[in-house]
Amino acid sequence: MSRKQTPLRPYFEKMAEIGKALSEGEVRRSKENIELVREQEAIIAQEVERVKNAGIPAEKIHQRGGMTIYDRLDYLVDKGTWSPLHTLYNPVDNEEGCTGVVNGLGKIEGKWAVIIGFDNKVMAGAWIAGQAENILMVTDLAKRLNIPLVWLTNCSGVKLMEQETVYAGRRSSGAPFYRHADLNHLGIPVLNAIYGTNPAGGGYQGISPTILLAHEGANIAVGGAGIVGGMNPKGHIDLEAARALIDGTKNFKSKDPGRVETHFTQTAYFREVHETEQGVLDGIKDYMRMMPAYDPTMFRVAAPAAPKFPAEDLNMILPANQKRPYDAIQILARLTDNSEFMEYRPDYGREVFTGIAKIDGFPVAFVGNRQGIFQGYPEYAEGAYPAVGGKHYRQGLIKQAEFVTLCGRDNLPIVWLQDTTGIDVGDLAEEAELLALGQSLVYSIEQTELSMLCIVLRKGSAAAHYIMAGPQANNNNAFTLGTPLTEIYVMHGETAAAASYARRLVKEDEAGKDLTPVLDKMNQMIEDYQVKSRPAYSAMKGFVDEIVPLTELRQYIQAFTGANYQNPKSITPVHQLLLPRIIKG
Amino acid sequence: MAELFSPIDGNVWKILVSVGQKVQMDDELVILEALKMETPIYCEEDGTVSEIRVKEGDAVKEGAVLVVIS
Repeated sequence: MSRKQTPLRPYFEKMAEIGKALSEGEVRRSKENIELVREQEAIIAQEVERVKNAGIPAEKIHQRGGMTIYDRLDYLVDKGTWSPLHTLYNPVDNEEGCTGVVNGLGKIEGKWAVIIGFDNKVMAGAWIAGQAENILMVTDLAKRLNIPLVWLTNCSGVKLMEQETVYAGRRSSGAPFYRHADLNHLGIPVLNAIYGTNPAGGGYQGISPTILLAHEGANIAVGGAGIVGGMNPKGHIDLEAARALIDGTKNFKSKDPGRVETHFTQTAYFREVHETEQGVLDGIKDYMRMMPAYDPTMFRVAAPAAPKFPAEDLNMILPANQKRPYDAIQILARLTDNSEFMEYRPDYGREVFTGIAKIDGFPVAFVGNRQGIFQGYPEYAEGAYPAVGGKHYRQGLIKQAEFVTLCGRDNLPIVWLQDTTGIDVGDLAEEAELLALGQSLVYSIEQTELSMLCIVLRKGSAAAHYIMAGPQANNNNAFTLGTPLTEIYVMHGETAAAASYARRLVKEDEAGKDLTPVLDKMNQMIEDYQVKSRPAYSAMKGFVDEIVPLTELRQYIQAFTGANYQNPKSITPVHQLLLPRIIKG
Repeated sequence: MAELFSPIDGNVWKILVSVGQKVQMDDELVILEALKMETPIYCEEDGTVSEIRVKEGDAVKEGAVLVVIS
């Protein structure tokens, strides 16, 4: 008789339960909070809708018999798995209102991929300001997670009126070609579904991936159909030259080079050509079925299970009032399988929790900030001040660095649940070595090969936002999520105003001057900080990669986890994990 | 009878109930302020507010009785 089980079953099959159901009273007093969360969600939803409607109307594409990027994604991606990223990203606030690419994580034929496509409604998929940075983050993601990158190419090349914003520079629109080469070199395939006319930059966008599948009307080429007219020695266009240009254009008969006749029939760059747009996507699906992916059985430590408590509770547990504490473990209990958690060193460094949970049966590490006031802690400030949840103190920094190091050894991906205002400051904090311990945590993160997901539940401030694997952890942070309650700023606006203007106030006061002008500047600064720390602004500038409703956080954690375990480059045999043994003792 | 204690050293920022008011478990009765944080004090059982031993603005120590429910 054969018998099978998940590995290290005594440790993982049933772990310590966390959290509890919300009481009637907690539900009753949370109604206002739900409304506040929904208000923010509505603001984000409106912005998402605006981006989706960017460019020409979808109907125009449909009238030509074509599919929009959203139609293509809908056809391609397995239902229920699409986890968009960078939806509102528009770092230079360009006139298109978006970066012209749509991307995210999703499954195709049951396998995770990073998926990105040009929005063919927006200037026929042109290179526009801010887009290159978006694409570079996406290639980083495929590299970090070691999963295929799937492109839906439809790229008309440089937006010529603004070439200086896209063409040149270290991180310009040409950099993705090197990234594609890098991914190929690392053994990460880039699958390309090619539509439309793709000249010059579009041509290299077409040719640089691994596998090229084309629609019959597509073309990719070094250059476009050719520029009508010769050089104008005058250095400007006058009516005479314009007349020549008009006549030339009317008579211009040349076809776009790099058509199917060339790149399927002659050069054979296109592996497949399809009459329908759906056919190309079916070809991508065929190739995705060939992609390397371990069966989840390889790495699962238990059967997948939903949390015991509903995700909707999160809108009641996380206060919109940023001054209010909450039980962070109640949040965690709505995210992990069976609402279980194996906590590491719970009595040390109480301001943070660290430990192992399961997500879809895979082991995943979690680190997060506890909230509230901790009397009698930290030990180095005894009698001076208590600890405030959200800040970091000596023990918490040591614990996090230790935990991350052990996660590295155990190959456990880490999810960081940030709601942090900073690291403790002052003479006592400096004597307690917090400056170096903060950087020690950075070092601990950097020296692992782990993928990490950062979720800024509410506040991401000061150096603490950085050291908890914020987006600044370029090599380890796969992506960063915000929620409708996220606020990201170096410090609170009032603190910043005081820091910036206190001396001026003293000076003006001693000079007997009216303080109102300075107060106006201070209040303007506070208002400015408020505006520039909102969730939609944070997403637009790229402080986070996506603002996600609290109820959808688990979906993204599942995507991150599934992608991480699909084809990992390094394996720690489950029965050789150290952390569960340390936790048990 | 239930006495509700302050879990922290802080100031009484808001008192949300009055003597004689009927309250239910988990109702918010008092809000303390300390270190720029609000710490709400919730009712631990159904009853009636029989005593309020603090007023808004008072400084309180950890363990101080704030409200008595009967």
